Amino acid sequence: MSFLEFLAGRWTEILGLTLEHVVLVVISTVAGVLIAVPLGLAITRIPALGRPVLGFAGVIQTVPSLALFGLLIPLPFIGGIGSRTAIIALVLYALLPILRNTVTGVRQVDPAILDAANGMGMTDWQRLTLVEVPLALPSIFSGIRIATVVGVGLVTIAAAVGAGGLGSLIFRGLAMLDSRLLFAGAIPSAILALLADAGLAMLEARLVASRGAPTP
Amino acid sequence: MKGVAISFREVTKSFDQKIVLDRVSLEVSPGEVLVLLGRSGCGKTTLLRLVNRLVDADAGGVYVGGREVADWDPVELRRGIGYAIQGVGLLPNLSVGDNVSLVPRLLGWNAERRRERAAEMLRLVGLDPREHGGRRPDQLSGGQRQRVGVARALAADPQALLMDEPFGAVDPIGRRSLQEEFRSLSRELGKTVLFVTHDVSEAFRLADRIAVVADGGIRQVGTPGEIRDSPADALVRGLIEGAA
Ligand SMILES: Nc1ncnc2c1ncn2[C@@H]1O[C@H](COP(=O)(O)OP(=O)(O)O)[C@@H](O)[C@H]1O
Ligand SMILES: [Mg+2]
Repeated sequence: MSFLEFLAGRWTEILGLTLEHVVLVVISTVAGVLIAVPLGLAITRIPALGRPVLGFAGVIQTVPSLALFGLLIPLPFIGGIGSRTAIIALVLYALLPILRNTVTGVRQVDPAILDAANGMGMTDWQRLTLVEVPLALPSIFSGIRIATVVGVGLVTIAAAVGAGGLGSLIFRGLAMLDSRLLFAGAIPSAILALLADAGLAMLEARLVASRGAPTP
Repeated sequence: MKGVAISFREVTKSFDQKIVLDRVSLEVSPGEVLVLLGRSGCGKTTLLRLVNRLVDADAGGVYVGGREVADWDPVELRRGIGYAIQGVGLLPNLSVGDNVSLVPRLLGWNAERRRERAAEMLRLVGLDPREHGGRRPDQLSGGQRQRVGVARALAADPQALLMDEPFGAVDPIGRRSLQEEFRSLSRELGKTVLFVTHDVSEAFRLADRIAVVADGGIRQVGTPGEIRDSPADALVRGLIEGAA
């Protein structure tokens, strides 16, 4: 039986797992954005937050993903086997790139522009929303892009704690020494990562191009 | 809005132990155009920024409309003072027109009124609202951007204007006509203007009075005629002769 015939025989299963994979990535990235962007903006206002928050996110990043999943399992409420544990770990991983890019994006805004904004009589909130966030958007966006692509890879490992997704094919392939199963999980996952990267890059280009368009 | 008085009383300011302004006193009358003239690095920009509290004095006081700036709410103070920043500082994420009408927007003007005002201001500085209003700042030349910076400073009809070398990047011919325009406009509207330049002929063309700034202080204050006919010291003479 050729690899293609193998795939043809299992395409509904592969499709279902791909969908599960995408859902896990989307949920965890969106949650990561909702936490990390406001937190990153808060750091630009309260510099004392920077060290502990970025430090925590940085430490998480150094924990091997399989170990992090394993560490979460025995925890009450958040742990256990299944996608919930996986999502928590994935969100934790998504924090650092988004946080870091939010903070640098805001800090990189030209001081002359901030001076102009202050000189015009903007309140801190107005300066944040009208100037700093719009100008930091490309940087924030590339943080989200990194988090998404990394997330696609990490979800394959999340299958180890029973999260589902394409990783379950890979782990089954490993356990059964069946390289066809392994590839049936790995190839779609790689394609997903590439698609996510390209798609977000396109969105990013759109975003940059539309900046400066007259508001109605 | 008619101009307000601006005064500096014994103002001292240092940056990193280096004294930039040493007990400077200066009175700007309502409706007056006072030009701060001096070499680069002498503290002209710092003097301007003391007025809208982008810089706070170490000692002494700055007064706007008789009230010390330290007692103003900075946001309110700044919205009443037009500021054309050195180096322009247009927001790259907004169109030219939206840049011009930004202070009116902060003040809560409606969109219709803002659009009209932006168009009016752009025409005033020699730009075509229809051609330039929808562009992004990076699609304009340096001189055009400066004109937009001036239009933005004027847009909310402030009672005082702080102009920091606003025509420095405009080509000589355009600069000449902007100076003419600005001179008649500020007189007509009765604005109080603090205008910074290192260009002596520009100072003479625009000023009601000129304050020559050097070495942390003001060397001489007087009408262009007084400065020309009786420079207070060798430094002032050197400065104006160098340009003549
Ligand atoms: N924020 C600042 N921090 C440190 N030094 C400053 C700052 N602003 C101005 N200076 C210094 O103060 C002096 C006067 O600067 P400035 O007022 O910009 O001069 P001018 O506008 O006349 O060229 C310069 O030596 C400048 O380097
Ligand atoms: Mg200056």
